[in-house]
Amino acid sequence: MLACRLIQRDLSSYLDGELPAARAARLEAHLRTCQRCREEIAALEGINDQIRAVSHDLQVSQDFDQRVLRAVGYYQVTRAQRQRKPLTKPLVVVALILLALLGMIRHFFSRTLPLPARAPVPAVSGLAPAASGATMPDRDRERRR
Amino acid sequence: MEEALRPRLVSAERPVDGQALAAASDVELTAACQNGSQAAFRELLSRYRKPALALAYHMLGDAEDAEDAAQEAFVRVFQAIPRFRGQAAFSTWLYRIVTNTCLGRLRRRREKISLERVSEPRSADSPSHQVTNALMTRQVLSMMPPKLRTVLLLRVEGRLSYREIADALGLPMGTVRSRLSKARTAFRKLWLDLSESGD
Ligand SMILES: [Zn+2]
Repeated sequence: MLACRLIQRDLSSYLDGELPAARAARLEAHLRTCQRCREEIAALEGINDQIRAVSHDLQVSQDFDQRVLRAVGYYQVTRAQRQRKPLTKPLVVVALILLALLGMIRHFFSRTLPLPARAPVPAVSGLAPAASGATMPDRDRERRR
Repeated sequence: MEEALRPRLVSAERPVDGQALAAASDVELTAACQNGSQAAFRELLSRYRKPALALAYHMLGDAEDAEDAAQEAFVRVFQAIPRFRGQAAFSTWLYRIVTNTCLGRLRRRREKISLERVSEPRSADSPSHQVTNALMTRQVLSMMPPKLRTVLLLRVEGRLSYREIADALGLPMGTVRSRLSKARTAFRKLWLDLSESGD
């Protein structure tokens, strides 16, 4: 039918809400009487969902932003921050282990081999808070979408 | 009491910055980018990485290529943002750059994407009919003439208005209107052809 063909030319714009009001009204009137055009518009409507369904599960890789930021020269700051962290954390751990060892050795020797009363005792207890105070805050992770 | 606490809270963490950025409009963010705000660029990136990737993915049919293209587009955006005058919306401008980047890659590739080349999407496992539908959709899109595919994707994935698509592609509104109609007709015909050949 000629009427159907004229209507079908407008279906796409109608679906997009881009059809002038007068033509939209004419189209709606036709749809009320024409089963074929109703089926046609339902099928066209499904295309949007089909296309969006494909990309819906698409995942952005975790380093997407980082790669862009590196390419534009914005990544240096973050990288510098990251380079500091692996250095600082092990240092703190090593310091704590050493302190613990020192404490144990001191404790062990004070019980088994009593030291002369004037032997210098290292003031270790005050070191721990200072060392742990140097811990870096966790680098904020890239948000994953 | 509250007054005394607030400055300390603000300086201790930086959620306030983040909230302000999240609430900022694209216009505000592009202006901030032009003033060298790294955080504003990051926010635009986080806002648009997914739609830009989706658009590139549909145009190229390959997830890895799409990532490369979308990233390249963002780098181009960064380079061109000092000259961006806001004649069009940021999204329109971005999608135009993504589209051009993809078209350039397709031109260089100079090969039709065959069904074998359409790799599995990196997605959560979904029911098999959904996978089949997705594969067919991608196949149909890859078989469409690029001119039709581009307007359809800008409309469906970019959710741009006809005016915005016309601006993005430098086309008259009437051409956008007729191409979209043809694109949908073509999509439907190819879909039916593929369904029949698959039975
Ligand atoms: Zn009809």
